[in-house]
Amino acid sequence: MLELKNVHKSFGDNEILKGVDLSVNKGDIIVILGPSGSGKTTLLRSINFLERADEGTIDFGDIHTSLVKAGKKDVYRIRKKTGFVFQNYNLFANKTALENITEGLIYAHNYSKDEAREKALKALRLVGLEDRADYYPSQLSGGQQQRVGIARAIAPEPEVVLFDEPTSALDPELVGEVLNVMKDLAKSGITMIVVTHEMSFAESVANEVIFMDGGVVVEKGTPKEIFSRPKDPRTELFLRRIIRKDYDYVI
Amino acid sequence: MELNTKFMKETFFIVMKAIPVTLEITIFTMIISMVLGFALSLKKIGRKKNHLVNFYVSFVRGTPIVLQILFFYSLLPTLLNYILNIVLKLNIKIFDINPIFYALAVFVMNTTAVLSEVFRASLLSIGQGQMEAALAVGLTPWQAMRRIIIPQSLTSALPNICNTTVNVLKSTSLAYMMTVQDIMAVAKKQAAFGYNYIEAYLVVLVWYIILCTVIQLIFRVTEIKVAQYKQGKRVKVLKIQGLRRFSYAGIKERAQVVWR
Repeated sequence: MLELKNVHKSFGDNEILKGVDLSVNKGDIIVILGPSGSGKTTLLRSINFLERADEGTIDFGDIHTSLVKAGKKDVYRIRKKTGFVFQNYNLFANKTALENITEGLIYAHNYSKDEAREKALKALRLVGLEDRADYYPSQLSGGQQQRVGIARAIAPEPEVVLFDEPTSALDPELVGEVLNVMKDLAKSGITMIVVTHEMSFAESVANEVIFMDGGVVVEKGTPKEIFSRPKDPRTELFLRRIIRKDYDYVI
Repeated sequence: MELNTKFMKETFFIVMKAIPVTLEITIFTMIISMVLGFALSLKKIGRKKNHLVNFYVSFVRGTPIVLQILFFYSLLPTLLNYILNIVLKLNIKIFDINPIFYALAVFVMNTTAVLSEVFRASLLSIGQGQMEAALAVGLTPWQAMRRIIIPQSLTSALPNICNTTVNVLKSTSLAYMMTVQDIMAVAKKQAAFGYNYIEAYLVVLVWYIILCTVIQLIFRVTEIKVAQYKQGKRVKVLKIQGLRRFSYAGIKERAQVVWR
């Protein structure tokens, strides 16, 4: 359904992505792992053109275009087919939780105000925040803000939802509520691409894990394959550091 | 020395009749400059550096407004006359134009530069994430500006816009140099009859304090109303009875927090 080919991206002299391919089927839950600076986030952001890649193509349903030269029309179509959840929520500060969701529904997806409201409330119900509909982001906790962020992303029923480290800005005790919402979504059959450091989530929910390092895909496979029998030493090292907290330095 | 109170009372009301002129200059200057200043600020936060814009802002900031007024009031009519009547042969009576337009031109030029900086700062204070989020939900950049970025940046710019307005209002007192009949000019004229300058200046002083205070109050009420989302409260300013309650504390007292 979604296929990226040969994605390259540099920031100045720093080459972040060195030819990455990504292929997503409907209903897939793909988790992208990797050390920081490995290009996970950039890859995710180039899917919906928040970042313009330097090279590469995208096939998304009936859209086949270059990641470099895609015209406005294709960009908007792809953005409407995707939902994006940001690391630091990025809720519209001047809008209530409900308005945060209806904004895109009304002005990008052309729903009527009533329909949009209905859809937004439904999305808020899914993340368990219906009673916070009229709260401004400043009145919500980090976890609640991120749940609204998720509701905003899923409300238009996009074909793919992209999660960019959705829990890494949260206090540890708030991570659980967001992960639970994401697990529920995964069960409901939504296609998701998740960049995260939450290994438990990757292990229990993903049907494919991609390990990236240095701007390339090092290894991919089912969670079982990656976590119990990593083939590449880089994957093994990374997993050892994260899961087994096996640091080889002394404080 | 004795103050001529009878003269002061008379002058108070005579000067009052000139308030519309003062307010007209202030309000029109603000409206025009807000639009131009905002456009300029967008240009400034863009990637390309525009030397013309920088030169203009440095020129306005680096010269006293009195000098600008004298300079442009000497230059503009002659220049316009030359261009329109001698070069284009349109035969327009340039020297009959109401000097208020020259005043407007100078004040707009000045205020646009100030406001462009105000808006630039307020636009930069809105995180990049807001724009990205708006684009990600499918809005066009212009929709994102209009619905998300501009409302937020206007809110954070309001205190500075209030400052600028008060400054413009005070600067209009210099318009008398362009023979504009604002409250300053009228008061000076009254004073000249009997050399009652101290009394006349006292009266103008009182009028400026009144006008500036009213402007600040209006802005304060607006600020409270539009910045609801920052305090995270839905504040309703209840019916305002009497002038005392028009104070900040009064409004705070009477503000009712409504959780829907």
